[in-house]
Amino acid sequence: MREFMTGNQAVVRAAIRAGCNYFAGYPITPASSILTEFVKAFADGRGTIVQTEDEIAAIGQCIGAAMAGAKALTASSGPGLSLYSENIGLAQMAETPLVIVDCQRMGPSTGGATATGEGDVMFARFVSGGGYPLPVLAACDAATAYRLTIDAFNIAERFRTPVILLSSKDVALTRQTVDLGAIELPEVADRSPHDDGDGWRGPYAVDQPADIPRFAPIGGDTLVRVTGSIHDERGVLTNDRAKIQAKLTHLFEKIESRAEELERFDADIDPIAETLIICYGGADGAVREAVATMRERGEAISRLTLYTLWPIAARAIRDAVTWRVRRVIMPELNIGLYADALRPILAPLAIESIRRYDGGLISPETICEQAGNEAIA
Amino acid sequence: MMATLPQGDHPLLLADKQSMCYCPGCSHAGILERLGHVLEGMNVDPHHVCIVSDIGCVGTADRYFDCHTFHGLHGRSITYAEGIKRVRPETLVIVLIGDGGCGIGTAHLVHAARRNADIKVLVFNNFNFGMTGGQASPTTFPGGTTGTTPGGAVDRPMDICQTVIANGASHAARVNATDKQCASFMEAALRAPGFALVDIWELCTAYFLPRNKLKPTMLDDFAKSLNMPMGLLRDAGRPVMMGGTASSVPSTNARRATAPMAASHGAGVASEEPKTFPWSGRKEIWIAGSAGQRIRSAAGLLGEMATVGNQHAAQSDDFPITVRKGHSVSQLIVSDKPIRYLGCDHPDLLIVLSEDGVNRLGDLSKLPATCRVAADASLALNGLSTDVIQFDYRAMQKEVGAETAAWAMLVRMIVQIGWIDAEALRAAANASLRGAYRDKNLAALNTAIEMTGNQS
Repeated sequence: MREFMTGNQAVVRAAIRAGCNYFAGYPITPASSILTEFVKAFADGRGTIVQTEDEIAAIGQCIGAAMAGAKALTASSGPGLSLYSENIGLAQMAETPLVIVDCQRMGPSTGGATATGEGDVMFARFVSGGGYPLPVLAACDAATAYRLTIDAFNIAERFRTPVILLSSKDVALTRQTVDLGAIELPEVADRSPHDDGDGWRGPYAVDQPADIPRFAPIGGDTLVRVTGSIHDERGVLTNDRAKIQAKLTHLFEKIESRAEELERFDADIDPIAETLIICYGGADGAVREAVATMRERGEAISRLTLYTLWPIAARAIRDAVTWRVRRVIMPELNIGLYADALRPILAPLAIESIRRYDGGLISPETICEQAGNEAIA
Repeated sequence: MMATLPQGDHPLLLADKQSMCYCPGCSHAGILERLGHVLEGMNVDPHHVCIVSDIGCVGTADRYFDCHTFHGLHGRSITYAEGIKRVRPETLVIVLIGDGGCGIGTAHLVHAARRNADIKVLVFNNFNFGMTGGQASPTTFPGGTTGTTPGGAVDRPMDICQTVIANGASHAARVNATDKQCASFMEAALRAPGFALVDIWELCTAYFLPRNKLKPTMLDDFAKSLNMPMGLLRDAGRPVMMGGTASSVPSTNARRATAPMAASHGAGVASEEPKTFPWSGRKEIWIAGSAGQRIRSAAGLLGEMATVGNQHAAQSDDFPITVRKGHSVSQLIVSDKPIRYLGCDHPDLLIVLSEDGVNRLGDLSKLPATCRVAADASLALNGLSTDVIQFDYRAMQKEVGAETAAWAMLVRMIVQIGWIDAEALRAAANASLRGAYRDKNLAALNTAIEMTGNQS
C-alpha cells in the first residue's frame, strides 16, 4: 500500500479510517485540499461534507454534529484557527469530541500562505479563553499525519475533548512516498456510550475528576442538555460553587492528570550522548538526517521527536535527558516558541534554539553545524 | 417525518410563564409557553426535538423544555442547529435567537437560508440588548433611545425577514408577540419544510420600554412606517436539498465496519517487494517553467513511478495563486532510501523550460557545481558557471504534444545523463502509469527515450 500522497490526503484517509463522518470547512491555503479531498471521499454518501460561509460556521456545525453523535473534523490554517477560537472554548466546556487540523503557514495574520512555519504551537494550547487545556499533536510528514489523525480522533473520543493536530505547509502539500501498511496504528476508539452500565446521571456526570463522562447523542433516546455555560452533571446551569469547582477541576484534570496517556513521541537515544536534539513537526526530518550523518562520523547524539506538544510529554523528555546529557538543541520553524515552554522542565540545562521563520525549512547541515559548535557557556 | 406520541404522554414544557425568569411584562415567557403548547399540540416525540438557544435573555429558554437542548455562543446557534439537523434529519431543530444574535450571526442566517437548511428559527426581537443592559441592537428603529443611542438611533433597522427571504428562505413571517396569531405563525414555521423563520416583535420592559414610552400596539405602526409588514411573507415550500448530506448518517460503528482498510489496522509492516523502479542514490530534480506546461504533473509522474516501484520520492511545488499565469516550479527528490528531510536544497538536475522559470530561479551562481543544467536554447541563465545542456522545447512540444512535453523532457534528461536505464524505465512506466493520461504519457516517454538514442 505505497502511495505518493500529501499530508492533507493522509489526514483525510486516516480520518475516514477513524470513523470520521462529518466534515465542515472553509477554503484556505494550505488546508483547502482537505476540504476538496473530503468532497471526493464523501461523494458516495458515507459522510456529510459542508463548505460553510466561514470558519466559525465550520466549527459550529462540527460541534453540533459531534454532539449529535458524528465524528467530526474541521481544518484550516492560522487565520482560521483564530476564528475557531471562541468555539473551541465551547467544545471544551461542552466536552465535545472534535478534531481540528491546523495547516500552519508562515508568520502572523495572512502571513505567507504558501510558505511554511510553525508559529501556532503556543496559540494552539492557549487558543480560547479560560486557560483550560486541550491536547495538541504535531505531524512531521504525511506518514505521521496519517498516524496522528487516528490518534487525534481516539483522544477526542476517549477524553471527550477538542484535539488540535498541527500540520504545516510542507507537511500538508508536499507529495511523499508513504507506505500505509508500514504505519503502526492504534485501535480505533469510540466515546463510551451512555447506556454502557447502570446509573446514567446525565451527560456530564463523573465519579472522579479525571473520569470522562459517558456520551448520549442529541436526537437519541436519552434526552441530553448540552451547554457552553457552567453547568452541573445534568447540563443544567448552576451557581453552586461546589459544582462549579468540580466541573472546572474536571476539565483540566481529565487532560493534565492523564498527560502520560496522551504522550506520543519517538525517542532515539544513545546512552552515551552528551547532546540531545528535541524536535517536532517540520524540523524532524532534518534532525533525523543530521543524526544519521553525525553517527556516521562516529559522534554520539540523541534525538527526541515529540508528536504530543500539549500537554507537554514531560515523562518522555525526562527519560531522554540521560545523566550524560550536557546540551539540548531545539530547532523550530518559529521564533523559538516551544523551547520557552520546555525550559522549566529542562532546567538547569539550557536549550540552544535553532530558529527559522522566513518560510524555509531548517536544513540538516544547520543542525550538524550547531551540534558541532561548542556549547555557549 | 417527525415521530409522534399520544398527546399528553410527555409534556415538553417544564414551566408555566409565571415561573420563568423573565421580567414582568416581557413577552419572552408568553412566547415560550405558546411554543410549548404548539409542540405538545403537534404530538412531537421530545426525543425528536432539539431546542438550540442563542445568547441573551432568550439564551436561558432551553431550560424550560424537556427535550434535547443545546446552548452555545452568540449568533452561532444556527451553525450548531445545522450540524445537528444534518446528522439527525428526523429531529425537529428549533433555534431560539434574539435580535442581537441575528446581528452578530447574520452570515449564518443568510447562508443557512441560502442552503435552505432544514431548521426553524424563532427570533425574539425586542430591539435592544436586554441582558447586557439595554444597548442598541441591529433592529433598534430610528429614534429608538438605548444605552448606546441616547439621542435616538439613526441607522436603518435590519429587516430580518427580507434578509432571509432574499437569500432563499423557504418560509418567513413577522408577528407581534401580543398577536393572538403568534402561536399559529410559530406552528406554521415548525411545519414548513426547509429554512423557516418567524420574526417575533416584542418590548423589553427592563430597558427599551422605559426609555421609549411605547405600547405593544405601536409596534404594528412602526412595522408599517418601516415598510416591514407583519404577517406571512414567504411560504415557498422550497424543497430541502441540504447539499452533500446523506439522507441519514449511519452510526460510527456501522461506518467503520464498511470503511476500507478496517481489517488491517496496526499492520506495521513495511513492504519488502523488490525495487522495480531502477534508481540508486538520492537525486534532487528542479523543473522550472510556466503555468500550463504541466510541470507539476511531470514531476508527479516520476514520483508516482518511483513510489510504485518501491523507491521513495517527495515533491513540492511553487506557483503563484493565479495558477494560469506566471511561473511553475517543481522540486522532486527521488531516492533509494526513505526521504527524511523534505527540503530540496542541493539540486542534481535543473531543467528550465521558459523565461518564467528563469525569472523565478533568479541568480544561479550558488547552484552546486555538480548540478546538471538543461535549458531551452533560447534562454539566458544568469550567473551560471556550469555547461548547459541545450534543448529545443518547442520541437519537443511538436513531437509529443504540449500536454506531455515537460514529462518527455524530464524523461529524456534522466535517461540522457545516465540516471536510469531506458528499458528499465519503459518497463516501470508500463507497469505503473495509470489514469486517463496513461497512453499519452507512455507515448511521450517512448518518444523521449528514442530521442536520447538518436543523440547518442
